[in-house]
Amino acid sequence: MSAALELFLQQLFNGLTIGMVYALIALGYTMVYGVIQLINFAHGEVFMVGAFLGLSVLLAFGSLWAAAPLVVVLAAVFVVSVAGSAALGAAIERVAYKPLRGSPKLTALITSIGVSFFLQNAVMLIFGSKEQSVPDVLPPVFFQLGPVSLSLVQLVIFAVSLAFMVSLTWFVKNTRPGKAMRALAEDPDAARLMGISVDAMIRMTFVLGSALAAVAGSLFSLYYGSVNFHDGYLAGLKAFTAAVFGGIGSIPGAMLGGVLLGVFEALGAGYISSEWKDVFAFVLLGGVLIFKPSGLLGENLPEKV
Amino acid sequence: MFGALRYHLGKSPLLQVAVYLGPFVLFPILDRNAYHVDVLTNVAIYVILAMGLNVVIGFAGLLNLGYAAFFAIGAYTYALLNLHTGCPFWAGLPAAGTVAMLFGFLIAVPSIRVRGDYLAITTLGFGEIVRILFNNLDTWTGGPNGLLGIDRPTFFGYRFSVSPVPYFYLALVLAAVIAYLLFRLSDSKIGRALVAIREDELAAKCMGVPALRIKLYAFGLSSFIAGLAGAVFASKQTIVTPDSFDFVLSVLILAMVVLGGMGNIWGSALGALVLGTLPEILRGFAGYRMLIFGLLMILMMIFRPQGMLGGALIRRELRPRHREPRDGPA
Amino acid sequence: MSLRRPALVLALFLAFCGTASAEEETVSIGLVAPLTGDQAYIGIGVMQGAQMAVEEANIRGPVFGNAKLKLVPLDDQHNPTQAVLAANKLVSDPDVVAVVGHFNSSCTKPASAIYHEGRMAQVTPASTNPQISKQGFDTFFRLCATDDVQAPAAADFARSKLGAANIVILDDQTTYGKGLADEFEKYFKAAGGNVLRRDGITQGEKDFTPLLTKVKSVKPELIFYGGVYPELALLLKQSAKVGLTAPWMGGDGIYDPSLVRLAGPKLTEGIYSTMLGVDPHELPTAKDFVARYEARYGEIGSFSAYAYDSTNVLIEAIRRAGKKDREAILAEVRKTKDFPGILGPVNFNADGDAVGKSVGIFRVEGGKFKFLEEVKPKS
Repeated sequence: MSAALELFLQQLFNGLTIGMVYALIALGYTMVYGVIQLINFAHGEVFMVGAFLGLSVLLAFGSLWAAAPLVVVLAAVFVVSVAGSAALGAAIERVAYKPLRGSPKLTALITSIGVSFFLQNAVMLIFGSKEQSVPDVLPPVFFQLGPVSLSLVQLVIFAVSLAFMVSLTWFVKNTRPGKAMRALAEDPDAARLMGISVDAMIRMTFVLGSALAAVAGSLFSLYYGSVNFHDGYLAGLKAFTAAVFGGIGSIPGAMLGGVLLGVFEALGAGYISSEWKDVFAFVLLGGVLIFKPSGLLGENLPEKV
Repeated sequence: MFGALRYHLGKSPLLQVAVYLGPFVLFPILDRNAYHVDVLTNVAIYVILAMGLNVVIGFAGLLNLGYAAFFAIGAYTYALLNLHTGCPFWAGLPAAGTVAMLFGFLIAVPSIRVRGDYLAITTLGFGEIVRILFNNLDTWTGGPNGLLGIDRPTFFGYRFSVSPVPYFYLALVLAAVIAYLLFRLSDSKIGRALVAIREDELAAKCMGVPALRIKLYAFGLSSFIAGLAGAVFASKQTIVTPDSFDFVLSVLILAMVVLGGMGNIWGSALGALVLGTLPEILRGFAGYRMLIFGLLMILMMIFRPQGMLGGALIRRELRPRHREPRDGPA
Repeated sequence: MSLRRPALVLALFLAFCGTASAEEETVSIGLVAPLTGDQAYIGIGVMQGAQMAVEEANIRGPVFGNAKLKLVPLDDQHNPTQAVLAANKLVSDPDVVAVVGHFNSSCTKPASAIYHEGRMAQVTPASTNPQISKQGFDTFFRLCATDDVQAPAAADFARSKLGAANIVILDDQTTYGKGLADEFEKYFKAAGGNVLRRDGITQGEKDFTPLLTKVKSVKPELIFYGGVYPELALLLKQSAKVGLTAPWMGGDGIYDPSLVRLAGPKLTEGIYSTMLGVDPHELPTAKDFVARYEARYGEIGSFSAYAYDSTNVLIEAIRRAGKKDREAILAEVRKTKDFPGILGPVNFNADGDAVGKSVGIFRVEGGKFKFLEEVKPKS
């Protein structure tokens, strides 16, 4: 197998790895938008808080984690970050968005920006403005998958993301609350008439999205080895791009969009230049919003008279 | 007595500008502290920016989250013209405004049809793209190190120097002129068309308002104003770097417009004054800056979306349109 | 924060106490460095070195008349625009007569124009970019070696001592990082080496995996990094994730214990670094200062000794000038001859560069920077 092809496949897998993380975050954006038509600007910060909660767990373990089995450590990280972020997401919804239901979208958008800034600054005050180093819990073990070498971290990311995405899809398709959520997204008035509690459903949407974002955050911090209070902003924006790209409101769309964005980014960084990586995402965002707002898998929502 | 004053003020924007901005002329004379004058000069530049953003957000009701990009374009335009062609400030100033305006049109044309909240994100993306472009095209823009050695303005033989005093007057005069022109605009046919579009675009279109074109003008004008501010800023700093023009700045200007009252010209100026001086007064709380701005925006939107000086019209537009029906027995 | 209120209260208090020091004249020296942000550790080290110099001078007695020295520290957050704003502030302050600063070349360069406008002597303890002294500013002085000494020393070491033939060069695109990398590339190629790839990262960027995968694919024997320690720490961590095992080399920007703190002793083991001068712990003239510093502040910063010497050069010039006048003090700084700094005698050439400053080569072993050899400047 030629060296060029090997490199391509390696970059492809790099892209898939980060793409899974984007996909997890994108799900949160897409679900919330589907249900209340709000671009939850603060979602990126929920992701970031999840990452920091995971980091706190690792720091709290201290030197213990070297002794404890890997699975236990990871489980602790995920449980704590998911619980924390889910609570945060629900709190944000209750405090900042609920009072504004029925307000023009711009008002709620401005509020969500306010929440985003508030959270970023809060985390900065607690943890400091410098890059926080994440302990290397996962040893640099490599697995050869043909010409491509995958690190343990990457495998963990694939496995965990896939597990959560499959669970979410099953939940939304097969369980009662999941179906209720979809009903609410399709037609809120009809859903209400059917006896679905709108408040509870909206809260649940936020909780689910935040939980996924927390998982993404923990995976992100393990992958890059460091977290910073500013990480939520960029990752959030890219994940939102992915959600819109895949079709806002569509769950499979968000997953597809996330993975595709990750791959395009990695290939772009690998073959063109890493400097322009972020521009690529933003240009894609602008292009999709202007020319095909329904995205790949979404439907066009016309503005009613 | 005050009744008569208020009547005359209401009638004449010229009088308003003279009464509200006039006293500031005395400030550098009464307060010799260069640092204080510097702070107020920056506030004056913020005032210009806030008034400019207000045209798009307040008058037209379009959320532009990438306003810092036009500020940057104005600054870099003057810097590049000056460094490459020796272009003096007074020629660079309108050039900066014009180039920024052109980019305003460029961005507006494809995006103006886009839905409100999508437009917000598109403009945000544009803001980031511009910043990254300035950061990466080092051969032209100096990259992250920026462009240095930009010339200061000369005024009839007097060359500006490190002292902020001449810049203060420059910014003050510019702000006064812009305020006056914006008042004239708000009272004109275009101004009323903008309000109609903001209130209910569909209805306005049905009444024959060329909504698309008017929105374009609003975008172009607001970008032009940002470009002017950019040139002043570049000539004061003598250096421009991409990180001065980030999303945080765009949000800061937004916060000023929101705080002062969307749609209200003096509101934007007041918002700029408050949010521009607050960080200096609360020096010890520098780390809490974004926290306070964030909290401010949340509280404002929930309790007083029309800001400090916003009128009843804006309040009605921004309040919840209907009370959500309570969930019945599940 | 306005100093008028507390200053007024203090003045009243002193008057009330009837203290003898009638009208102490405040003579301020500015100090600008990254005091917050990711390079804060090294910046604060610079500030503390300067602080010690000022305090010790005040204890010895007034520099002239009843002058009291004061340090005015300002933060430029390694940001060129903030640097210019800080410079503006210092120049506008009538009490400030000279400045020690800045730390990063990207900040020192634009600020030097402002100090030149303000006719204020500026001594930088750490900015190594050679272009800064070539701008023709008679107010600019530099206490450390420049990159046109550092780069050839590094290139020579890599080529002859390490025997590296095919390498990759990365930089962080700042005035310092890119400048150093450019110089290194020039000298390395001149010595017969081959640069497989030259790439850049942006400060503040996070995801280097595609870049590092690219680097791994060309199999370099060495990777030279022109930049500062925070980004290198990230690069090291992600290199391990990608399976890139080539050794790294950098300049004075990575020479800081924080590098080991951020990336860990395992990942930093074996990294080579050049540094301006030798380890002050080894120098007999500096041992005393190091002991005093460490007793007071703890671990000494990489540039604290430079800041200390820079400040003392200025203090000596103020003493010789005998008055609170920027031009007079500037003239005295120019006349500095064989000033006994703790890092060696200080002399400035016509451009303001320090004469005779050497470069040291270090290697990280067991989490500490170990001194290998000294390279003296050719002139």
